[in-house]
Amino acid sequence: MKVGFVAPVLVLLLCVNIFPLCYSIWLSFTNADLVGVDLQSVGVLNYSFLFSDPRYAEALRTTALFVVGSVSVELVLGYGLALSLRDRFRGKAVLLTLLLIPMMMPPAVMGVYWKLILDGSYGILNQLLAAVGIGQPQWTTDPDLKLLSLLLIDVWMWTPFMLLISLASLNAIPSYIYEAAAIDRASRWRVFRRITLPMSAPLVGLAVLLRATDALKQFDLVMAVTGANDGATQTLSALLYQVMFRDGKVGMASAYSYVVLILVIALASVFLRYLTQLQRRAGAA
Amino acid sequence: MILRWGFLAFYGTLSTLPLLWLAVTAIKSRLDSISTTPKLLPVFGAATLDRGSIRFDATLQGFVALGEVYSGAANAYYHHLFNTLVIGSCSTIGAVLLGTCCAYGFSRFHIPGARDWLFFILSTRFLPPLAVVIPILMMYRSLDLSNTHLGLIILYTAFNLSLAVWLMKGFIDDIPKAYEEAALVDGYTRWQAFVRVVLPRAVPGMAVTAVFCLISSWNEYAFAMTLNNRGAVTVPVYFAGLQGNPEGMPWSQVGAGVLLFVAPIVLFTVLARRHLLRGVTFGTIKQ
Repeated sequence: MKVGFVAPVLVLLLCVNIFPLCYSIWLSFTNADLVGVDLQSVGVLNYSFLFSDPRYAEALRTTALFVVGSVSVELVLGYGLALSLRDRFRGKAVLLTLLLIPMMMPPAVMGVYWKLILDGSYGILNQLLAAVGIGQPQWTTDPDLKLLSLLLIDVWMWTPFMLLISLASLNAIPSYIYEAAAIDRASRWRVFRRITLPMSAPLVGLAVLLRATDALKQFDLVMAVTGANDGATQTLSALLYQVMFRDGKVGMASAYSYVVLILVIALASVFLRYLTQLQRRAGAA
Repeated sequence: MILRWGFLAFYGTLSTLPLLWLAVTAIKSRLDSISTTPKLLPVFGAATLDRGSIRFDATLQGFVALGEVYSGAANAYYHHLFNTLVIGSCSTIGAVLLGTCCAYGFSRFHIPGARDWLFFILSTRFLPPLAVVIPILMMYRSLDLSNTHLGLIILYTAFNLSLAVWLMKGFIDDIPKAYEEAALVDGYTRWQAFVRVVLPRAVPGMAVTAVFCLISSWNEYAFAMTLNNRGAVTVPVYFAGLQGNPEGMPWSQVGAGVLLFVAPIVLFTVLARRHLLRGVTFGTIKQ
């Protein structure tokens, strides 16, 4: 009986995830390509090539930069917004809805649309900057600024997600704890440090995990703003797309994706263990 | 206090301006949308406006043009909107229903290795779509599922399950067991108790879960782009595909199209908003 409830999901996930993964681990040891020449085993050649490919190292670095940059800014902004939105006030529901809208937008289209805003000549941002007399940065073509532009768009889209989950975690802290702290005349900073922060940490941590894994997969924005083969913004997913669909080297791309996958799962499981600890501590506090 | 309102006002303005600009772009003519002088203020029915003016003549051209087939595309916008509607809503319903069943199973029964299974379910979210897209492409070709709605529905259902199971588990853990136990004593089967007693109480959670599933399947791009090049092309792929077109980007159409595209999601979120905050605690916090 109990199997009946959980089995459909597990079977579906095994079919859609585990089967393809097994298949592509096999592909990663072959010279498979998109055109379909006869498949030959090439041993660990793909893997040895990967570790000497400068593009791969560069993509790892770009992705790491992107994940750390976007998630930390989103966390600080989102948590700050949640703290500001904690109390009841008139129009709060409307404001909250308005703030949440960016995360409902399609990233692939928003990336394209942001190019209209950021464009060097007819973009509104540079027109405004010209009006106040600041220079004319080429947001989407200057190699030093491209990644920053992507970060900006990502922060715009996903800070609302951090806000939402942070606010949920703050709302769930029972008010009697604050009342007790008020009786003890604890300072505001102490209340924040000893109650608010530790009690909201587990859930906010989970939000960080979800955001970080999404940022690791960043593909839509890169494709829309700079395309898959731009050295300055080539994330791991963009590199994968380039190798797999443009170069047509499926075997090679499978090897690339395997290394990413092992990395992601390892990081995520370490982080999840840390979260469980946080939660236990919050429960004990 | 001032700091707080200042911060809210500052961020709120910065975050809303791009949206506002999108709405303004939607009612511009093609030339006004790429004008080198900023066109900020819409004017209705003005015949001729100075080129250097910040005012522009508001027009619904963008919305009208959505019905036409843009050069380089095979179908008009509404065709793709329909595809997204079918794929997005079916996969959301699938993910929420399956996810609720699964979450109930994990919440109420002792399942060997439950923690590992739950981590496995969550870990499917970490998977970059491109890592599995080739095997799925081959699998779909042999099953005749590529370029079909059903193909994407199955995929989106599967990829939304991780979030659905985790969100719903938090919700169902909070529903007291006493209700179903009473129903079981009254002679309900486990399934009947689940459908008649637990499900009605889980509706707020299901609504919240549906919001998130809908957002991600509505906007998904990587799978939609690589698995479909005809048949079931969704709106994000359609708009992204207009890039690099010799005629240039039809910005007012993009603006108009995106407005129509996100309207259902915003509406759905507003309807579910009372449960939204309660819904995203993932059961990490016990009341």
